[in-house]
Amino acid sequence: MMLEMESLSKSFGGLMAINHLDLDVYEGEILGLIGPNGSGKTTLFNLISGLFKPDSGKIKLNGIDITHLSSHKICQMGIARTFQLTKPFAQMTTLENVMVGKAFGRTPTWSMREAKEEAEKILEFIGLSEKGMWRASALGVVDRKKLETARALATKPKLLLLDEMMAGLTPTEVEEAMVLVKKIRDSGITLIVVEHVMEAILGISDRVVAINAGEKIAEGAPQDVVREKKVIEAYLGEEA
Amino acid sequence: MPKNWKSFSIFGGTIALLALLPLFTNRSDVLTWSCLTLQYILLSQSWNIIGGYAGQVNLGHAAFFGLGALTTRYLWLAGLPFPVSLLSGAFIATVFALLIGIPAFRLRGIYFVIGTLVLAEILKVVIDTRFPVASALSTETLLTYSLIPRYYLSLMGAVLSVIAVYFISRSRLGLGMMATREDEDAAKTSGVSILQNKLIAFAISTFLAGLAGGIFAFYMVAIQPGYVFSPIWTFDSVVIVFVGGIGTLIGPIIGSVFFVLLKQWLSLHLPGGSHLAVFGVLFILVVLYMPDGFIEAIRRFGKMMTLGRKPAVQGR
Repeated sequence: MMLEMESLSKSFGGLMAINHLDLDVYEGEILGLIGPNGSGKTTLFNLISGLFKPDSGKIKLNGIDITHLSSHKICQMGIARTFQLTKPFAQMTTLENVMVGKAFGRTPTWSMREAKEEAEKILEFIGLSEKGMWRASALGVVDRKKLETARALATKPKLLLLDEMMAGLTPTEVEEAMVLVKKIRDSGITLIVVEHVMEAILGISDRVVAINAGEKIAEGAPQDVVREKKVIEAYLGEEA
Repeated sequence: MPKNWKSFSIFGGTIALLALLPLFTNRSDVLTWSCLTLQYILLSQSWNIIGGYAGQVNLGHAAFFGLGALTTRYLWLAGLPFPVSLLSGAFIATVFALLIGIPAFRLRGIYFVIGTLVLAEILKVVIDTRFPVASALSTETLLTYSLIPRYYLSLMGAVLSVIAVYFISRSRLGLGMMATREDEDAAKTSGVSILQNKLIAFAISTFLAGLAGGIFAFYMVAIQPGYVFSPIWTFDSVVIVFVGGIGTLIGPIIGSVFFVLLKQWLSLHLPGGSHLAVFGVLFILVVLYMPDGFIEAIRRFGKMMTLGRKPAVQGR
């Protein structure tokens, strides 16, 4: 078991965003996380990455309690994430953005040369090499999504949380992204993927968990989960 | 890297020329303006580190300049060797910065801006009350007073600040500061400790500000303690950094030269104090129409001149 969440809860005012959620992530898998808008997927990512602190419950990484660690420590222990609304370091170059991940992540370095070489490799892998010297603010939406992934990869994570990296991509780009996600998994990184593009989720996930109103409503093989009555109801509403 | 060699030789050559300046002229006005410009380079670079690189708009910078100035002045006049007094002043400024930094960096955005401004004002009021008497040099010190050692000390301070910013801009430290400035959440989740980065930036910045104050205290014949804590030191630095180019190595240098020259010119042609209004308007114009400062305008001009010879880098 790589990541364990035990009875995790988080509320905002009166709204239970995450409600006593138990969730396990296994080493080497791609876990698809689905659920309608506002079901708590991004909140869950914010909890795992330490940006929010849960009201109750525990998060363990490889058996170590990380619930109360700060975000940068969690990253240094091997959990990286991307943001659905991309957060590039806008005034820095694409290359510098990725260098930050390498210089401060799980395998930090003081050597700018080492950080640069690693960042160049990752940009090559992700397909952003020729825009390395661009200011990140000049990148388009698709490239910004790539940059999010590149910066996260540069921190050398064991677990990577991808938040809707495929939203807004064309069908060809979605296919490329799917290949990329599988390549990342094959390099030894476990992934949790939040995605609204159903065919992508079905195509890449080893396992799918569906949540609604902060609670787990289904879990299992992708094809089975999407056929479950509760899941269909969560997306389409209950039958009258 | 040939490009670096070019920059290094320009930097080295400029320092050599400046070091020779007192041999060519002993006009006290030229030396005075040069001293002021060099001191402004040191002070504005120090603000550039916390405000430009780490993105924390600290409007209490005068407090650190003042602490450096006052400590240096009193220790020096009490008979301590000047270098010891100077370093003590810078050290006191840094210690104070770390003490207030830990609570102040819990504030974000506008609250940090107001918090630092208020802290500096409180300190100014306290100093004004506790030290109401101006500190003047003794007669025997006055008899040996010469601008030349003041000039060389100012030059050393300015060079030190430029070297500091150069190394920050090319190091992991600078990378972390800039990431913190650009997006705290993204920086945190990329492994950057926000508080640690802000505190290091603040410590370096205030050490240099304290040094600037100490040099100023050595330079001035008489000092009103309240004056070195005046917010003008903060706002002069902010104007210089923004006008020259915030978060750049060269911007504050260009800004300082321009600032001192324009200030001298205005004080000759306008009634006293009205240069402040001119700089206020200039500041607004730069922020609105030239947010990257003069340095960007110069770069663009250079690009226009070489256009056609090499392709422009996109997004730069």
